[in-house]
Amino acid sequence: MKLTEINIILIGIVSLLGVGFYGLLITRNLIKVVMILQILVKAVVLAFVFSGKVSGNLGLGQSIAATVIVADTIVAVVGLALAVQVRRRFGTLDAPEISTLRG
Amino acid sequence: MERVEYGLLLAGAIICAYRAIVSKRILSSTIYLACISALISVVLFMLGATQVAVMELSVGAGLVTVLLVYALSVVGEDALDPSSVISKPLAIAVVAAVTLLLGWMIYPAIQFENLMGSVDLASVLWQQRVLDVWIQIVLIFSGVMGVLGLLSERTPGKAEGGHS
Amino acid sequence: MANIFILLIIGFPWLGALIVWLIGDARPKIQHTFAVAFSLLSGISSLILLAFINSQPAIDLALGTSFGSLTFIPDGLAVSLTVIATVVGSLAVLFSVDYMRGEAQLGRYYFMVLFFIGAMAGLVLSGNLLFTFFFWEITALCSYGLISFYNDDPKAVAGGIKALIITQVGGVGLLAGALISYASLGSFQISELLGRADTIPTAALSFIAFSFLIAAAAKSAQFPFHTWLPDAMEAPTPISALIHAATMVNAGIYLLARFYPAFESVPGWKTAVILVGVTSALITAFMALTATDLKRALAYSTVSQLGYMVYAIGAGGVLASQFHLFSHAVFKALLFLTAGSVIHAVGTRDMRRMGGLGAKVPFARNVFIIGALALAGIPIFNGFWSKELILEVGLEHSPMWAYALMLLGAGLTAFYTFRMTWMVFFGTPRETLHIHPIGLAMKISLAVLSIGTFTTWLLFGGLNGILSTSLPFHEIEAESTLEMIKAVSFAPATWFALLVVTLGLGLFFAFGRKFALSESPAWLSTLTESSFGFEPVNRFVVSLVSNGAEKLRATQTGQLNWNILAIVGALLVVLAALVWGGAL
Repeated sequence: MKLTEINIILIGIVSLLGVGFYGLLITRNLIKVVMILQILVKAVVLAFVFSGKVSGNLGLGQSIAATVIVADTIVAVVGLALAVQVRRRFGTLDAPEISTLRG
Repeated sequence: MERVEYGLLLAGAIICAYRAIVSKRILSSTIYLACISALISVVLFMLGATQVAVMELSVGAGLVTVLLVYALSVVGEDALDPSSVISKPLAIAVVAAVTLLLGWMIYPAIQFENLMGSVDLASVLWQQRVLDVWIQIVLIFSGVMGVLGLLSERTPGKAEGGHS
Repeated sequence: MANIFILLIIGFPWLGALIVWLIGDARPKIQHTFAVAFSLLSGISSLILLAFINSQPAIDLALGTSFGSLTFIPDGLAVSLTVIATVVGSLAVLFSVDYMRGEAQLGRYYFMVLFFIGAMAGLVLSGNLLFTFFFWEITALCSYGLISFYNDDPKAVAGGIKALIITQVGGVGLLAGALISYASLGSFQISELLGRADTIPTAALSFIAFSFLIAAAAKSAQFPFHTWLPDAMEAPTPISALIHAATMVNAGIYLLARFYPAFESVPGWKTAVILVGVTSALITAFMALTATDLKRALAYSTVSQLGYMVYAIGAGGVLASQFHLFSHAVFKALLFLTAGSVIHAVGTRDMRRMGGLGAKVPFARNVFIIGALALAGIPIFNGFWSKELILEVGLEHSPMWAYALMLLGAGLTAFYTFRMTWMVFFGTPRETLHIHPIGLAMKISLAVLSIGTFTTWLLFGGLNGILSTSLPFHEIEAESTLEMIKAVSFAPATWFALLVVTLGLGLFFAFGRKFALSESPAWLSTLTESSFGFEPVNRFVVSLVSNGAEKLRATQTGQLNWNILAIVGALLVVLAALVWGGAL
């Protein structure tokens, strides 16, 4: 099997996704969760641009990637605001501890 | 030898991602995240998507890093890093299975059409995907509203309404 | 035109459900008014729909290739059942105005009732198997919600859960059959299944046929699922009349009638259907003999009569079963509502404590006697004609042992019916009970139903007409009312049946009265108390489900990481399925 650029990039995308999922499974800190979501989204952006390039419609790939970046930034912003509020209210950022807390 | 460059950049990204996840201090994770952003941005540039590469760099390495640092400063750094809820071997097993399956499905080479005469971003964005632009505006607006609503609350203690 | 009326038939009750619920419990009079108004509107629309019967879909919404089209077909079978559901439904709602006066949470009650009426209409009108299943599940939900309406009474809640679990077994059967049919034919449309049933391989067709039989048996409380209906009598009486006598339990009969042409060639299916019908009819007739709770006795008799309808379908008489369904809906609703008014008046359901009430509530006594005569199969009343038609079909097309047992059932029916009537209304009062008078709304609904009991058999010609002309796959001959009267009056089956019924009556008058008041013989009561051995099975199934659900609660940890593990696990399953299926 040839190892062209395509394969390398595809493997890269899938591995980045895998590392991101592993992180989501492992981490307990809410801010880290927001960060790992960012990692996942970078893999997705790469995937969109890459598919655009491969199918010849780079403009479409780029515009979708741009939309995804904007959307995901908003998610990060709101997620961090939520994390700050959680810290203020519950005093901890540990996800398992928060689930067992009674408000 | 583009293959080597791509390979190195992506390998670097993956290593940075792993370090970001397992590092004990959130500040170091933030730095690693910025590195990932930079590397991915270079890959995007090499693929030909220049505008998105710039966006990715400025947003990922700039905006998100600043946001995270700000949030950290407000929240304060928690020094402890307890063990995870799900056992690591189980997590590795599941993720490895997913990654391998996905990789195996995607691996066969696709025809690389080196079309340089593709439509550029600006005309596509403003004509074909105008709806996307409107959605982005709405998203930004709602994000701002959400943050304002969330962060404008006073300190805890007065509200009993913290329902879990 | 038909499409508008179909939308109205389903839309009015559903809209009414929402409105009555939103009005709030602070204004019960308005709630009552709106509920009656919306159900009446739906009833009127379905009566108007009679003029537009057609075997072509009236509403046809394409929903993409996975789900086929959402079609509603106003053919004879569907519209006759819709008329029954909505008209009896509006009478039950009218009855509820008096029965539920002063009860709490009327909004919830009327919401469930109206939601149910719309869903029942949708179930029979639907031409797409998936949507039939969808409406089927809605009726199951409403039935559960209404049985456990008095949710601080543990018996009611237990009865509701029992009914839900058992009818869900039927729902699984329906879904499994629908999916296999889709896999074999590529379409969810009912007309496809009926028309191309012979192209399906025999194994798959048998699977579909028997799953549908299980679904029908579970929904209509037939053997071996006959244990949930008597416990469902904890529901308020108008609900027992509507859901558990006149409409929801007919959904199973509808299923069998609708798909009869597709399944009649499956080896063993017709025999299985006859067996289910005969067994249900007989064992529940025995259980009605020893029942002491008035509503339970009526519940047993419902299952018994449904057994007759199932038996008729097994013998090939779809028309006879639908005719009996029609008569049964009317007289059983009448009996239940009257029983309800009596129970409401005296405050107890135990027949051993009633007695001699005839003098105190003469109106109730009269209409109950009318219903009882129809149930027993006395000539002139609608029950007589339809039951005789079934027995005639059975004599010609079913095995002799089945016919003989059903004949025995007819005699038992007469016996227990008279026992019930006598225990409640005649004889010397065994207890002095304080009687509330029966309200006007109750009296109106009872009066309408009793007139129906006298006269609905005259509509046989009309029923026959709409069924024979609008069901392209069933072979039903056209016969007018007059021809039917002549056929039934002169058939040997009728004479046998009348003989057996007279025998039953004679036995009752000879020593039935003593039998009714004394304790039943021990062997009989152990059998009937445990529903012929099925009650323990039932309890086992219910406890299995409840314990299983409790154990599965451990998976819902509510923790972030576990939830993400579930998501990634699901992704793994999807990918594995794709790889195994050969995609990419």
